[in-house]
Amino acid sequence: MDKICPVRQTILFLTQLIGPQGLPDPKGRRICEQILVLAEEIAEGTAGEAHLPAIEALVKECNDAGTPEQTRQAGRIIQGLLTDHREVFVNHIQTRNCPTHDCGKLAPSPCQMACPAGIDIPTYLALIAQGKDAEAIEVIRRDNPLPWVCGLICTRPCEMMCVRARIDKAISIKFLKAFAAERAMSERAYTNPTPQPANGKKVCVVGAGPGGLSCAYYLALMGYGVRIIEALPVPGGMLMVGIPRYRLPGEVINREVAMIEDLGVDIRYNTRFGKDVTKDELDREGFEAYCIAIGAHKAWTLSIEGEKEFPKVIEAVRFLRDVALGDHHCPGKNVVVVGGGNVAIDAARTSLRLGAERVTIAYRRTRAQMPADVEEVEQAAEAGIEFSFLTIPTAIKGEGHNIHALACIKAELKAKKGANRLAPVPIEGGEFDIRADVVISAIGQYVDNEGMEAFTGIDWSRRGTIDVNHAGMETAQPGVFAAGDAVSGPATVIEAIGGGKRAADAIDRYLRGIPQPRAPRTPVRHKTEPVIEMTAHEKMTIKPPEMPMLNLYRRRTTFQQVELGYEEADVRREAARCLRCDICRRCGKCVDICRDKMGINALKLGYLDFDESGPTDFRVTAESCITCGACAANCENNALKIDEKDGRRRLLLCGTILNSQTIQYCESCGAKLGSEAYIRFIAGKTRSMTQATETRLLCNNCLRRKAAVSNAANSGALPMR
Amino acid sequence: MTFQRGDKIEVFKASMDDAWEDYMNDFIGCHGFIVDPDTSVNDPDALVEVSLEGKGTHRLPQDCLRRLGDQV
Repeated sequence: MDKICPVRQTILFLTQLIGPQGLPDPKGRRICEQILVLAEEIAEGTAGEAHLPAIEALVKECNDAGTPEQTRQAGRIIQGLLTDHREVFVNHIQTRNCPTHDCGKLAPSPCQMACPAGIDIPTYLALIAQGKDAEAIEVIRRDNPLPWVCGLICTRPCEMMCVRARIDKAISIKFLKAFAAERAMSERAYTNPTPQPANGKKVCVVGAGPGGLSCAYYLALMGYGVRIIEALPVPGGMLMVGIPRYRLPGEVINREVAMIEDLGVDIRYNTRFGKDVTKDELDREGFEAYCIAIGAHKAWTLSIEGEKEFPKVIEAVRFLRDVALGDHHCPGKNVVVVGGGNVAIDAARTSLRLGAERVTIAYRRTRAQMPADVEEVEQAAEAGIEFSFLTIPTAIKGEGHNIHALACIKAELKAKKGANRLAPVPIEGGEFDIRADVVISAIGQYVDNEGMEAFTGIDWSRRGTIDVNHAGMETAQPGVFAAGDAVSGPATVIEAIGGGKRAADAIDRYLRGIPQPRAPRTPVRHKTEPVIEMTAHEKMTIKPPEMPMLNLYRRRTTFQQVELGYEEADVRREAARCLRCDICRRCGKCVDICRDKMGINALKLGYLDFDESGPTDFRVTAESCITCGACAANCENNALKIDEKDGRRRLLLCGTILNSQTIQYCESCGAKLGSEAYIRFIAGKTRSMTQATETRLLCNNCLRRKAAVSNAANSGALPMR
Repeated sequence: MTFQRGDKIEVFKASMDDAWEDYMNDFIGCHGFIVDPDTSVNDPDALVEVSLEGKGTHRLPQDCLRRLGDQV
């Protein structure tokens, strides 16, 4: 029982108490029934602040004079559960969240769980499907202040865990978010929530990247005075100076940052922490907590001969930063980019746009092992970028200040002794040159800790990142927190946003003297949107839309956004393709009951299993389903429902109409009978009791009456008619 | 082992890496997907981002992960 959610445990205990083997005294049973109602509301996320005191008052009644000992003991057990797990009960009430997932209605969906920021994805998809873009953005911004940015460049772990991908393709969650943000912004409906009144406390955030912005946003909403110290002249950190404009337009960043500034967040640009402003100065100004979100802007060097001698050996991050800040000069005719990640692809595609004639990416492993996104690699190849795989750079050749070539050696992948990991090993005699007048190194970045000396109490990991407790992003120095790439090393935007949000929560707890959590908090469900009705055929056959792209010529010459976005109709249909895993928990009870208890096996829902998914087809249910409703009756979350509409009995799974059958009526008295398939099924099961020859549709009462008349006539008690 | 985006993995043991925190013990036995592999230098020492079923997305050391086979 230790792993069961205490709320669930309480419900199970109370259910026993009011069952046949439960409490004998009526008063004890009445109290337990009342507590059960309240506990169930807590489990369903519909409870309010008065629920716990009400339960405690009822428990006290168990100890009234004259109450049997069995009832008193039950009261003590319930009180024990409340006392020992008070925080869990409060968490259910306040966050509408069950961390152990035992309270099914509160369990987050797999996509929400996968999102490092914990966005309530099914809810906002349902809102987008209904055309409520501004409401969708409001839901997203509860967990992520940069929905438009993430809609364009998120690495989308949510789509990786999308249950729909077990049937065909994951929902295009990322692009739908971008559409909603753009539409809401365009309709002037993208607004900030109302912050809490100022609490007079000040927090300093170092770095205006996604982690710092996220931390600042949530602190500002909590009523803190927030100042961001930013070394660059622009906001966004790597969003602005690391990601090229053809993937993420600057206006998108500027608009969302402006929304954060509108909450009162003060961003001081061109201000390097430790140089232009010191911690002592900030302490004196009254800042009580710090969040370090300085990113990972320092590049690893190639460490090859000639690297330091030629000015045209450029670090990719510096190159991309210069271009982002307005330097649009062509780096050279023949550009070689060393590396295989997204930064390498960005540097190559940017070089091409600036006018380079030939751009080559030299990567020491194979295409399959490139860490860059497959789509990015494909788009680079389409634009004419060449790839040289299994290529290890050895030296940069040239004369004076001019580079002539990048000397390389061909490699093969071999497992090193004692390791099963394949590593590139130079092939003897495999030397060759790649013509180059510019070499851009893109082999990774690390955290630049210059200026951080003032934080004397923080620990640095052996990876050169700031050591934190990830649950609260706390460093070893009290009052100092950290988020983003400074903690994780070069990572994803959504991770930084999630980390910033956790840091804000932890700073708030720190300043209010509340202990920090042991583990990162489970994402919070905000509400359950109504499902969207559609036929099983439609649900199975909606195809994800193709993303329209900028034409190739413009892609080679301009920084215009490459992905042009979906049409509105496509967006609404794609959002409606969502399976609503916030409602259906995929417990599989419906399939088991239909197959094993009813012996029908009408539900072909192979997607329910994470590890061993099988085929799914919502359409085949109608072939054998009898609309008996056994599956729906046993669905804890009401994901499966039986209803009646326009004279038909329907079975729906999260809005998908799995079956619809005409309701039959008793030919004698007109009572409702269910569908023909259902009546046939029941008749088959009760053949020994009812007349097999009966062809008329009669209800049980009429059948009984008819049989009684017939039996009486046969026995001579009544005259035969 | 080089992990790629989309690899299905299992957290099969606790890591000896100092990036392993106590709460991560709850992840042992969980299955999930590699979301963001070691993007810098195919470094076996780098932390990789994984999405674990029912447990969320976390950055874990590679020595606690093993590939289950299929890619998505």
